[in-house]
Amino acid sequence: MVKNITVFTTNQCAYCHMVKKYLDNKNLKYDEVNLDNEPNRRQEAISLSGGMTVPVTLVTQHDDSRHVVVGFNLSSLVPLLS
Amino acid sequence: MKNIIVYGADWCPDCHRSRKFLDEKNIQYIYLDIDSDKSIKSEMLSLTDNKNIIPTIVLPNGQILQEPSNQVLAKALNDFKSVSSDNEVIDLVIVGAGPASLTTAIYTTRENIKTIIFEKAVIGGLAAVTDLIDNYPGFEDGISGLDLADKLEKQAKRFGTQIEFNTVKKIELLPNNDKKIHTENGDYVARAVLIATGTDYKKINVPGEKEYLSRGVHYCATCDGAFYKDKEIAVIGGGNSAIQETIFLTKFATKIHLLVRSSIKASEVLQKKLQSFIDSGQVIVHLQTNIVSILGDNQLVNRILIKQGDIKQELAIDGVFIFVGLKPNSEFLNNSSIELDQLKFIKTNNNLLTSMNGVFAAGDIRSGSTMQIASAVGEGATAALHIRQYLESLKSY
Repeated sequence: MVKNITVFTTNQCAYCHMVKKYLDNKNLKYDEVNLDNEPNRRQEAISLSGGMTVPVTLVTQHDDSRHVVVGFNLSSLVPLLS
Repeated sequence: MKNIIVYGADWCPDCHRSRKFLDEKNIQYIYLDIDSDKSIKSEMLSLTDNKNIIPTIVLPNGQILQEPSNQVLAKALNDFKSVSSDNEVIDLVIVGAGPASLTTAIYTTRENIKTIIFEKAVIGGLAAVTDLIDNYPGFEDGISGLDLADKLEKQAKRFGTQIEFNTVKKIELLPNNDKKIHTENGDYVARAVLIATGTDYKKINVPGEKEYLSRGVHYCATCDGAFYKDKEIAVIGGGNSAIQETIFLTKFATKIHLLVRSSIKASEVLQKKLQSFIDSGQVIVHLQTNIVSILGDNQLVNRILIKQGDIKQELAIDGVFIFVGLKPNSEFLNNSSIELDQLKFIKTNNNLLTSMNGVFAAGDIRSGSTMQIASAVGEGATAALHIRQYLESLKSY
């Protein structure tokens, strides 16, 4: 079971838009960290994904296990949201 | 498509399994918890001849499955999809959801031609990841790729276009001239197909490119540019995309080395815009320059080796953005009877018909296309008219 979801995005990133749209369509709530507005949190996204790219989606389950999905990658994201 | 209904309960492991299966296939369904309301349980029992078994899954064609294994569920869904929800073959399946595809869908759905689009990545395609589209008619100040994609999607959906995230693996011509579309989520049958899968940025195949992907090597400025605020980067390429993205990246990077293999081929308008950044020293152009390798500290890129004539030198940079031309997204057609040109773009006749009867192609994927968004939209409209004509010509239609 999902406890919370955080999506790291930038304003003009189309793949970020797709992740948000997907979560919205599933009525899943998430926190968005827009790196254009919060550039000081870039390192957080880099640490999670190991790269300098967005979207980075952090899914925290009820047992506090954390899972990171880089990009708009439904085959990785969907199983985490069940 | 009507809804799939899943009757279940939170404490039921098989309900979770079935829902997980549907979620993974990105199949929409309505979940009804029988514990939340007595009337829901009664409703389920009325459908199942009082068999109190969950999950009970009702498919849009009326078929009822109780506690099905994933295999049984998959087969039922495939059988159901193959003939669509009302035992009908889909009028038109479109592969790809870029400007050509969405335009066709606007036309066809507006004329009640049932249309489903399969997209494996981003709605809007390559256009959606473009910072600013300055030459698309009707937007005097230009429009961001994301906004244009959003408008096209909304317009297509307004007329009833369905867009599914799905990957097409193969298109097969059936003996009755219908087309079987093999996808990751099962098989579909359509009367007509439009392939509008567009193109993607080419790789340059130098050492370090694959190793440092997303750790200093990038193909999407609008996605990853923000990580290079106050940093020094290189952009590879000299066409419209490379120059457009270089201009976008000046918002972030303090210095950009633009590496161009021969000379800058971008439009004059873009070159003029670029000039002000060259004059200010923010962009340094290296003509007749090739990149030899991308180097780093095993974690991140920190320099590149470039070659200009016989002279090799290292440039200290934090990242490389590569925009060196486009490759067609036609890999799924490699073993099909749809004819491709030498560069793997799809050959069509004047009616945008491919070598497979009832399969059309439009936009950047089409051999001879001009690779412009406005042209792709025009081809989308043209394809829609020819598809309509084709559908009308079918005796059974």
